[in-house]
Amino acid sequence: MSTDTDTAAAAPDLATLEAGQELPPMHKFPDEAQLFLYSAASHNPHRIHYDREYARFEGHDDIIVHGPLQGAWLTQFVTDWAGPGARLLGVTWQNRASGLPGEELVFSGTVTSVDAETGVVELEIAEHTSDGRLLMPATARVRLPTT
Amino acid sequence: MGLLGCADEACPLHLAALAPNVGRMSESLIPAETLERVGEVLSGPVTTVIDRREAQRYAYAVGDENPIYFDEVAAQAAGYRTLVAPPTYVTHAVVQPRTAADLRTDGLYREGTRIRLLVDRVMFGGEEWDFLEPVCVGDEITATVRLAAVDQKEGRKGPFVRQVRETTFVNQFGDEVARSRMIGIAR
Repeated sequence: MSTDTDTAAAAPDLATLEAGQELPPMHKFPDEAQLFLYSAASHNPHRIHYDREYARFEGHDDIIVHGPLQGAWLTQFVTDWAGPGARLLGVTWQNRASGLPGEELVFSGTVTSVDAETGVVELEIAEHTSDGRLLMPATARVRLPTT
Repeated sequence: MGLLGCADEACPLHLAALAPNVGRMSESLIPAETLERVGEVLSGPVTTVIDRREAQRYAYAVGDENPIYFDEVAAQAAGYRTLVAPPTYVTHAVVQPRTAADLRTDGLYREGTRIRLLVDRVMFGGEEWDFLEPVCVGDEITATVRLAAVDQKEGRKGPFVRQVRETTFVNQFGDEVARSRMIGIAR
């Protein structure tokens, strides 16, 4: 369970930020221990996240990564990029497919709008597996510091 | 479309009272009694205090070691009153203790309030969040879940029902701090 971000970049500068700019990708490497810890920390007893035999009985290839964990990674992807002075205003995500332990998961994003006056930036973001399977298309809104 | 997702008590999976799939092509998948429940409170209000250790345990489990969750000086330098909780943590913080006797075979808790739909399968479609105010350690958060919408739609694979459970989170100052809409897809 680790995180890699391609660059430890400085927080984005509202003055130069424009629609179409890409965020540096973030990579996650979930394993069974992380799924166990997330089930515990989020009070989630759903068997598909810890019982391989049961997960297969329900039609999954393996135990699966929690939807809310992937959602939390989407928020982390944005807040790591935006920096501590920014405020995350909203996020939406759709569950398209399930991530599995042992897979590398890649978070990517593009700026879709910038309001220089209010500092509000809209993003289109997504989570894929490293071989390109889309798990979660998503959007986010964040307010960057205006001074 | 998403596979069976997961979640805690807020999971839309809890909502489905599975019914036989009969005559579905021409009929509504939503019984009148269910339509009448739109707007109804499904659970809560429940109140909980945001605990530092629990919020940090959650951040570590996510692998999100942002200093604003762990270092009070860093949190205040970033403009917060004190340590902050990760954005979506609040929905897990309000999960109430339950006995293991309440677990179903799939590991989810039995739910008191069920929404009847004439469907075979409920999937976790996604989630939408508005973050309105920071949720800080020590805050007292009250959560209320409502059935926000139940709509039948036509998809490529036939009719499906989109149901939305909206949770509002209010702090000790009376400010709404967050709102989440969990979207369940049933067919």
